[in-house]
Amino acid sequence: MLRALFEWVDVMPSSISLRESLNGYVYLLTAHVVSMGVVAGIIGYWDMRLAGMALKRVPVSKVKSGLFPWMYGGVAVNAFTGFLMLYSQPMRYYPNFWFWLKMGLLIVVAANAAYFHLSIEKTVDEWEHDPVAPFKARLAGYVSLVFWVGIITTGRMTAYSGLVPRWWIDLGLGQ
Amino acid sequence: MSAQPFFEWMGGLRFSAFFLESVWPTPIVQCIHLVSVAVFVGALLLVDLRLLGRGLKETPLPQVARAAEPWLLGSFAVLVLTGIPQMSSTALKQYYSPFFWWKMEMLLLGVILTVTIRRKMASTEESQLGPVWPKVVALTSIALWTSVTIGARLIGLLS
Repeated sequence: MLRALFEWVDVMPSSISLRESLNGYVYLLTAHVVSMGVVAGIIGYWDMRLAGMALKRVPVSKVKSGLFPWMYGGVAVNAFTGFLMLYSQPMRYYPNFWFWLKMGLLIVVAANAAYFHLSIEKTVDEWEHDPVAPFKARLAGYVSLVFWVGIITTGRMTAYSGLVPRWWIDLGLGQ
Repeated sequence: MSAQPFFEWMGGLRFSAFFLESVWPTPIVQCIHLVSVAVFVGALLLVDLRLLGRGLKETPLPQVARAAEPWLLGSFAVLVLTGIPQMSSTALKQYYSPFFWWKMEMLLLGVILTVTIRRKMASTEESQLGPVWPKVVALTSIALWTSVTIGARLIGLLS
């Protein structure tokens, strides 16, 4: 069913015209990389604050209010350019092991962030001045850092569609 | 004097051949390079946003700069180390790419700005800086390092 969706997008005139545009992909990928730096760079500092690795003397809520608006701006550009790359070449990404692994990791960081903001952060007033946050907050920071490294890595590896585990090919997923 | 002989020499090194002939080293180095880009941009933005009067605006500028510096320097070192094999293994492609030279020029200007004016400014008491110059330096810094990233990406895409 997912394949049918990708194949349907693949023959849409707007997808084809973006795919065949001379420099469309060049602009999209370049903007995707620059905005990735903004998003992952800021989230990295937020995570390091939670993990007790940086900005220890800055209250947690100040890190959030000062940096998150810029991070959201980066996310808007990053998600938009990422979506357009997928939209313009769906059948390039559909059989790509690294693309799907990256999407999986994105779900993990989104779930981790949602869990943090909906539960652990509720008590932020009690610990936001502590140089080292409570264990659960530190853990959320470490998890996010590790998975963001994974997202950047799998994003870069998307260019290497042939360098994939044997089972991915054997199961017929690479086509 | 042309730099071409130097690039030809670099491309002919066994070190370069190793990266060209083996499968995993190049993508691994590229992944580490890209993760370092994120760390570098984060450390850069922390201070540049602060110079613009945004970001961590309630934290004193020197304190923000001290928090960013080890990550800025550390990630820069990794970027250089992982950049060298990528340059040497495709030496002539780099030499003939206008984007490679554009990246290197912007990089040189970025480094000069960062280790001179920007560094001095970031350790100075804010009241002595005035309202205009910190913003000029921050915007120049952002423009230069964005140019480096764009140039870098275009070497691969358009060369």
